[in-house]
Amino acid sequence: MTAPAAPVTRPMTVSAPPPSQPPSRRRPKPSLHGTLSKVIIALIVIVQVYPLAWLFITSLRTEHDFATGDPFALPKAITFENYARAFETGNLGMNILNSFIVTMGANVLIVLLGMMAAYALQVLGFRFSKFVRGLFLIGIIVPVQIALVPLFIDYATINLLDTYQSMIIPLAGFALPMSIYLFCSFFEYIPRETYEAASLDGAGPYRIFGLITLPLSLNTVVTVVLVNSIFIWNDFIFANTFVLSEGLKTIPLGLQNYIGAMGKTDWTATFAAVCVTITPLLLVFLVLNKAMIQGLESGATKG
Amino acid sequence: MLPNRSRLSVLVFLLPPLLLYGVAVLFPIMQSLFLSFFSWNGISDMEFVGLANYVRMLTADDIFWRSFFNALGYLAICLVLQLGGALVVASLLTSMRRGRDLIKTLYLLPAVISTVAIAFLFVRIYSIEPVGLLNQLLHWIGLGALERPWLSDINTVLAAVSAPEGWRFTGLYMLILYAALLSVPQELEEAARLDGASRWQLFTKIRFPHIMPVWITTTIMATTYGLRGFDIPYLMTNGGPGQSSELLTTYMYKTAFTSTDFGYASTIAVFIVVECLVAVGLILFMLKRKADA
Repeated sequence: MTAPAAPVTRPMTVSAPPPSQPPSRRRPKPSLHGTLSKVIIALIVIVQVYPLAWLFITSLRTEHDFATGDPFALPKAITFENYARAFETGNLGMNILNSFIVTMGANVLIVLLGMMAAYALQVLGFRFSKFVRGLFLIGIIVPVQIALVPLFIDYATINLLDTYQSMIIPLAGFALPMSIYLFCSFFEYIPRETYEAASLDGAGPYRIFGLITLPLSLNTVVTVVLVNSIFIWNDFIFANTFVLSEGLKTIPLGLQNYIGAMGKTDWTATFAAVCVTITPLLLVFLVLNKAMIQGLESGATKG
Repeated sequence: MLPNRSRLSVLVFLLPPLLLYGVAVLFPIMQSLFLSFFSWNGISDMEFVGLANYVRMLTADDIFWRSFFNALGYLAICLVLQLGGALVVASLLTSMRRGRDLIKTLYLLPAVISTVAIAFLFVRIYSIEPVGLLNQLLHWIGLGALERPWLSDINTVLAAVSAPEGWRFTGLYMLILYAALLSVPQELEEAARLDGASRWQLFTKIRFPHIMPVWITTTIMATTYGLRGFDIPYLMTNGGPGQSSELLTTYMYKTAFTSTDFGYASTIAVFIVVECLVAVGLILFMLKRKADA
């Protein structure tokens, strides 16, 4: 596939180091420092990645092998029984569906409302825009825990506990500030002249939004959706607080219940379930990671 | 500003996002502040108690202070792993020629995985029966004497629940710092190198000062995220054994939803917010002073 181009389309100064080194340095002898840094990087990467590989390897182990064997060893025999058991005992399919619904719902709100707010703040402009920006900044600094008790009480009052909305609303609300920030910094790079030309042709603010800003921001949408999906797909705290019934449980809750449901912990099946549930996000990440990495880099280095 | 925008169009675009944000974030913050002055278990009548919750928290609650200091320890470990580890890898990576994209992707991988999965994973890594990765590794390198059940030993449990949080986000901060390091002007580095600057001098005198603004951003991010850390300790040990891995966040959560002491839980929540604001202020203050010096 063609890689989703840089989400922020301004020319990035950070893209690549200049390839033109002085000729004498082009083929450096393997220096001690160079070798050492490679070894350190390799070691750290192993520490980062090996536990995940181990997770997968363990999910293919037989229970006996798991209980007695050397944890670093490869499994003596590969079995998919753990996966079968994981699907039998858990509600994996339903958990994944619920996570999917919540992630989709929150993302629609975040993208649509985030873009609208950024458009009002960055493109339309108004007298109190500084104040409104400040309001949104609060949501970046303040921890989500502050909202748990009040939202729990409010949801109980208006009968919203134990619904998809009870998860979607706070997830979208707390993700909104960062997304507005990302959209704002992208809108900055749409040339003023584009808007002026459109205005002269008689386009009002709504048509300009729909015909210019929206289509131009598609790459930023990819970044925003990807970054938010990771947090929403994995959300534990809102789901754990606001959802009680089995039928609404998302993946993180489904995994947690796994243990209780079986009395004693069936580790190999649990690991199989973990593998199944992290796969969708992992695949999306591996396909789109270039877009996400670029988005994160350009968003943060603006300082 | 668009030439022919109207006041109405601003409202049309601004009100829906503000409404959601107000309902989900702003209003609950006000409500928490309000609730912190009451004693309420969710069923009986709310009783106004003034500052009594705050007095109780600051003067009469040992668990609160225990959790507070645990949270600072948790934060320290996260910061060392996330910022320290990230800076080392980021600077080493700048001198590598190939495989950088691969390393960036691999390194970011743990950030994609849910905290519940990470909690499971690390419970097994720390376990002693059947032997987990950590204890097996210690055994192999001849440090068998250090083998222990990391999560039930009160001396190691706090470090054991902090490490996974540090581990999962190192890649994120590495990515940001790496991008910043690449933006250091090559001419500057060349000039310093010609003047005979060592690698260490190059780093402390040229590169690090140049990435200072980004360093401040990442420090603030890592600190505020560290102070609100919840999932992993809650899932791995639920604050135990005893209160040896209790954080302010887990304590608040239990106070609210196990003891249903909504008023007091809100007081702790307000404290967590104040703590985050103070931390951000302190970081800005210290780094500014250092930059001026």
